[in-house]
Amino acid sequence: MEDEVGIPTAPLVTARFADFVERNARARGAPLRFGFPPYPVMGMSRDVLRRYIEGADPITSKPLMQEVIDALTAPLTEREKHPTIVRKPRRPRWLAPDTEENLYREFVESGWTDGLPIVLPTEKRVAEMLTGTDHAPDEIVGQMIITTHQEKMEYTVEKVAAIAVMAGARPEHFPVILALAASQEPSMPSSTTSWGRMMVVNGPIRNEISMNCGTAALSPFNLANSVIGRAWTLMSINFGDARAGENFMATFGHNSNYNNMCFGENEELNVFEPFHVQKGFRPDESVVSLFRGWNVLNFGLGPAKEMAHVIATFGSMGTSITFVVDPLVAKNLRAEGFKTKQDACKWIVENSKVPAGHYWEGQMQSGFAAGLARQGIEPFASWAKLPKDAPIAPRHSPEDINILVVGGETNPMWITTDFTYTRSVSIDKWRPKCGIRRDAQPLRMPVPVTCKDGTCGIPVATPTTEPVTAAN
Amino acid sequence: MEQNGKLTVLDPHGQPTGIFGRRLEAQSNPRAILDPFEQPSGELKPMSMAPRLAALNGKTVYLVETGFAGSFEFMQELQNWFSRNMPTVKTVLRHKRGTMFTDDPELWAEMKSSGADAAILGVGG
Repeated sequence: MEDEVGIPTAPLVTARFADFVERNARARGAPLRFGFPPYPVMGMSRDVLRRYIEGADPITSKPLMQEVIDALTAPLTEREKHPTIVRKPRRPRWLAPDTEENLYREFVESGWTDGLPIVLPTEKRVAEMLTGTDHAPDEIVGQMIITTHQEKMEYTVEKVAAIAVMAGARPEHFPVILALAASQEPSMPSSTTSWGRMMVVNGPIRNEISMNCGTAALSPFNLANSVIGRAWTLMSINFGDARAGENFMATFGHNSNYNNMCFGENEELNVFEPFHVQKGFRPDESVVSLFRGWNVLNFGLGPAKEMAHVIATFGSMGTSITFVVDPLVAKNLRAEGFKTKQDACKWIVENSKVPAGHYWEGQMQSGFAAGLARQGIEPFASWAKLPKDAPIAPRHSPEDINILVVGGETNPMWITTDFTYTRSVSIDKWRPKCGIRRDAQPLRMPVPVTCKDGTCGIPVATPTTEPVTAAN
Repeated sequence: MEQNGKLTVLDPHGQPTGIFGRRLEAQSNPRAILDPFEQPSGELKPMSMAPRLAALNGKTVYLVETGFAGSFEFMQELQNWFSRNMPTVKTVLRHKRGTMFTDDPELWAEMKSSGADAAILGVGG
């Protein structure tokens, strides 16, 4: 407005974000004249808003409206006439040599970790990690930010290798971690609403690196699932330069960010098309697909009718739903007559309608969707004109519904999330030509027991074992 | 490399490039928020500030509602404040199109062509 349109402007931002926007403005060479009414504004009565306007700016203690008038009329200072951009200094490639104990402390105290123990990225460990791909260490993989209000950070294959080492990964995991880095999506985009993330791996690499796609796939029982998901957040913290309260403003954050719900789709037990094939990839391609949302509602049971019922009452700011379903659920959907996931999604959307009045009573709708409706943006504008008892489908397109198949067929249950699919990235680009680089003795956590011989993994007594007898 | 019990480790922070995320287009899908592929990038240049007015009396001030929850009501109250306290100022209350994260070049062009003297954008956060 100031620069391109040439109109003097007074931007008003709630006081809670004063530091954030002033830092952003300085970094951009934009000496804007902010005014800061108290926080929050959402949900406040007219009387409170009037008092905000007639009262003082809590940051400066000056009358807010006098600040607004001054912002538009006070002559520009020399600094405002000739603003400069403050850039972050470039950093050396290596940290100063130090003891392991001191370096570990530096990593933790600098905010470069997720709070859990890390493996220090020594030259030797990083070099070993780089054997997991053919790409050159200095190849630029991408740029990352956690908020649009900050300088983007560029990172190389070597930087991603350092992150992979920190996460506890082995070279065999590196192609998946590079694909995550190539997505350029942060696992922790900054929003006061506290986003969570989910990632699913499809294709042959799931089995090559022994990802868990079956029993307890979303629990901490598999090295690949754990370290790959963790690496995404470590790169978001470091490449995205995430700092809580400075540029990461999630009011309470999201626990999913520790490993971002990382799992492989259970293609072997899935009666439908694998997710990556739905997105246009070949079945023999290895792909990681990313999701973003807020809510995870565990334990749903029942047929498609029940899934439609749950999402009809599942309040959320977004319009997407991603069901994470056990393979038994996929089989049940097939038995209900749905030939594809898309058929099921279409039916679920058409049968998940709620009264318009119920929809608009939701806080998210009154706050977010109502603004879109006022601007005439569809379908919100039409919905706002409907009588209270008119049925509407809040998830209005079958493409808004995703189904991911994972689990060990121990319960025909599903999880409902409001996660939106954001992107799929091919992993194969990052594979070494000679194949996945496995350790001589691959590091594996115990594989979930799948009973195939009736013993259920319980050691069978041998003739040399003393028989268990009742106590005398 | 380990010498005298000391390790050399890589600095995990990326190198800044001076490239910033920029505005989303008005037509951008609301889900494009923070999506780096949806954001044009470019080298940043310092912003020029517009010349200030001598006074607001008799001027036209656009009150642009950003789309954050509650900001419409806030800007309405701001308009009421001008009516009560500075009635010579003409205020025009407008919604910015799209979400709070999107750009609205049509509105900026309209403001310029219709002779807007100043603007108040609110309320962020």
